[in-house]
Amino acid sequence: MSGKQSKAFTKEEELLLQDFSRNVSTKSSALFYGNAFIVSAIPIWLFWRIHMIDLYSSIISFIAVTLASTYLVALAYKNTKFILKHKVAVKREEAVTREMTRKLAEDKKMSKKEKDERILWKKNEVADYEATTFSIFYNNALFLALVIFSSFYLLKTFTPAVNYILSVGAAGGLLALLSTGPQ
Amino acid sequence: MGNRSTFLSICFLVLFTYTVADVCTKPKVSASAYTTQDATVLTNIAFVAELSLNCENHVTGLPLYAEINGRTLPAARIGDDNKYQVSWTEDVKKAKSGDYSINLYDEEGYAALRKALRSGEDPSSVKSLVTVVVNYPGAYQGPWVNSEFMAAILSVLVWYLAFTARSKLLA
Repeated sequence: MSGKQSKAFTKEEELLLQDFSRNVSTKSSALFYGNAFIVSAIPIWLFWRIHMIDLYSSIISFIAVTLASTYLVALAYKNTKFILKHKVAVKREEAVTREMTRKLAEDKKMSKKEKDERILWKKNEVADYEATTFSIFYNNALFLALVIFSSFYLLKTFTPAVNYILSVGAAGGLLALLSTGPQ
Repeated sequence: MGNRSTFLSICFLVLFTYTVADVCTKPKVSASAYTTQDATVLTNIAFVAELSLNCENHVTGLPLYAEINGRTLPAARIGDDNKYQVSWTEDVKKAKSGDYSINLYDEEGYAALRKALRSGEDPSSVKSLVTVVVNYPGAYQGPWVNSEFMAAILSVLVWYLAFTARSKLLA
């Protein structure tokens, strides 16, 4: 009994730790990096077909900028998710508790502690999921808007190769910078 | 001697009939025209009108002159039968869509027209031989909203939606 209790405590602690840390799970990390890579690679098409960059002669800058931008965008995802998660958890707390209590009410055998644990776990899961997906959406929208605006308007006079490096690099950098700011 | 005078008089007669025949009576004209349709990369709009003139007295090879909105230019003869071509260009910004009337004059009418233009009279007071109307429906000068502007607006709009949603979550 005591062993089970201590195990439960560690689990809770683990959840709590996870809740407050900036670290993300491997699954979440893969999602972030995968998404960041896709969204960083999309501007290649824009510069290849619209700005008429030669694909083969600037392949090195394409790869380098895409990788750097992938890292920066993934960083922005993580930071935004971290900021959002607590807020989302607070916002959804009541609804999740209500739903879970109703769901677990039928189970008479389950102890109060177990129920609370499950509610906490569910809260964490809901907040994590919502924060992750919203963070991806928000940062993608901002990244693409920055790339389009800077490549077509701010850096219009530069050669396409310079335009690509500057606009995608600056968009990634700005995204990472903004994500670390307060809120 | 008599032969020579007869020859000369025939020559004069031929010349005379030629000059008399140099007037087109009851002219009928059929025309086809081309105007520039796509002016996205152009600075001037081209107008080309091809017309064939039929006179009741079957005169051919008349030199013709055209007048379009106060501008005069010779009509080029193309082919043996009475086919002419009138072409001119206009600045894209100045070219108004609508009907352009080409007033055609023979040499006599053209001289009168030039006199009228010189003295500052109304050129429409000189009666033209025939008038051809060319319709210029306007040329395509690119979309009203260019695609990069559209893309920028849409992306900013999506970001704005994301931003308001984020503000709501963080509030």
